[in-house]
Amino acid sequence: MKELPALGNDATVRLSRQGGQVTTMTRPREIEFAQCNVDEREQICNVLNRCLPQTSTDVGRGDQRFYQIEVRYRSDNRDDQLRFTVPEDQASEELKRLWDKGQV
Amino acid sequence: MSGQRHYLGFMPPYILNRLIDHGSEWQRSRALKTLTHVRQFLPATARQSQASVAEAHQPGQLQRNIYDAQHLTVLPGALVRVEGQRASGDVAVDEAYDALGATHDFFWQVYGRDSIDNRGFALAGTAHYGEGYENAFWNGAQMVFGDGDGEVFQRFTRSLDVVAHELTHGVIESEAGLVYRNQSGALNESISDVFGVLTRQYVLKQTAEQADWLIGADLLTDKVKGKGLRSMSHPGTAYDDPVLGKDPQPAHMDDFINTQDDNGGVHLNSGIPNRAFYLVAIALGGSAWERAGQIWYDTLCDKNLDNDANFQAFATLTVQHAHQRFGTEAADAVRKAWEEVGVGLAGESPNERTSGLG
Ligand SMILES: [Zn+2]
Repeated sequence: MKELPALGNDATVRLSRQGGQVTTMTRPREIEFAQCNVDEREQICNVLNRCLPQTSTDVGRGDQRFYQIEVRYRSDNRDDQLRFTVPEDQASEELKRLWDKGQV
Repeated sequence: MSGQRHYLGFMPPYILNRLIDHGSEWQRSRALKTLTHVRQFLPATARQSQASVAEAHQPGQLQRNIYDAQHLTVLPGALVRVEGQRASGDVAVDEAYDALGATHDFFWQVYGRDSIDNRGFALAGTAHYGEGYENAFWNGAQMVFGDGDGEVFQRFTRSLDVVAHELTHGVIESEAGLVYRNQSGALNESISDVFGVLTRQYVLKQTAEQADWLIGADLLTDKVKGKGLRSMSHPGTAYDDPVLGKDPQPAHMDDFINTQDDNGGVHLNSGIPNRAFYLVAIALGGSAWERAGQIWYDTLCDKNLDNDANFQAFATLTVQHAHQRFGTEAADAVRKAWEEVGVGLAGESPNERTSGLG
């Protein structure tokens, strides 16, 4: 995946920190685009797009943590979903901040 | 995939070799590519320590290198204590040194296993990783320990079973290479818990009856309502706390968690094989590492254990190894334990079992 698809008003982004010895502290954060203004949406999309080169499906081994990004959106009049994972040691500060504080 | 995954560069050559021998097509091609570059990516210190081990290694000889990440997340960090050096005075560093030594000693004395690769792999551990970091892990080349946030978690070097759990991840990677996803991933987690807890029982000279069967009992602060990270005897009961939440582990196949999270619930569903092991250990009695542990160790090292084995495949092999090493009675105890957690054996329907191996 080179770039996220265009995300509209109906998109939802869910960020969680997964893996590791402590399973109950994933602290999932859901961001509904309907609650964001156009600028915020664009900034969130930029953060996520910049994560794409760091994504990997081979994550978690030996209790290594990773960030999971799930995007639910509508495309061609149907519901669609994207999921990708970024190893913790590759995750950008802006992604961690978006998960931790919900801020861009 | 673009860019270099740094920890692939840290992956020890024996794992790459194993991937080349046993891995999927994709793993093989990646491992081959990485192997040719692995020397240049290995940190100089790790490269030297592995080389010196290969040159003059006495079987069973322990080699430890402990690093200090100084609260950064760069590995391995500054080398602060090498094998034979006296205590550094830094509690986490010295705990890591002692715990890795105890784990090495356990595997060597009990199963005749010489470190992670059974060829004297030099053990590297990094303490003080990150800021308030609430985790410990094995990255394919070394063990890494956070200090905890101090509110919920104390430093992760405090629990010998957690340190031994991480080292066992290395052993699993160099043996069965259980894929870290779904049931094979939960087995990977469970086996790490098994040898983690056995290391502690061995050091404390506890019988199966005396042991608490907790993982990470020394990690939680007084503020947390809980006993540890996981309970192998009663999965799902380790903690119930406003901050930490409730221990989500199932203890029976009826409660198996189907999820995409946590690599398919590897730290969740491991409760099921964990309890099976506990039941075997109690049924066989005495020191759990002697018989129950030996059966699990034989199974882990069995070439017939596929890297994508599910609970049933693993359970079936444990019954075979129990029979081979300890006879019919032990095999029956193992079979019964798996039955009690709802895991059936391959080639058997629940109502037509015969006693012993048919
Ligand atoms: Zn683990």
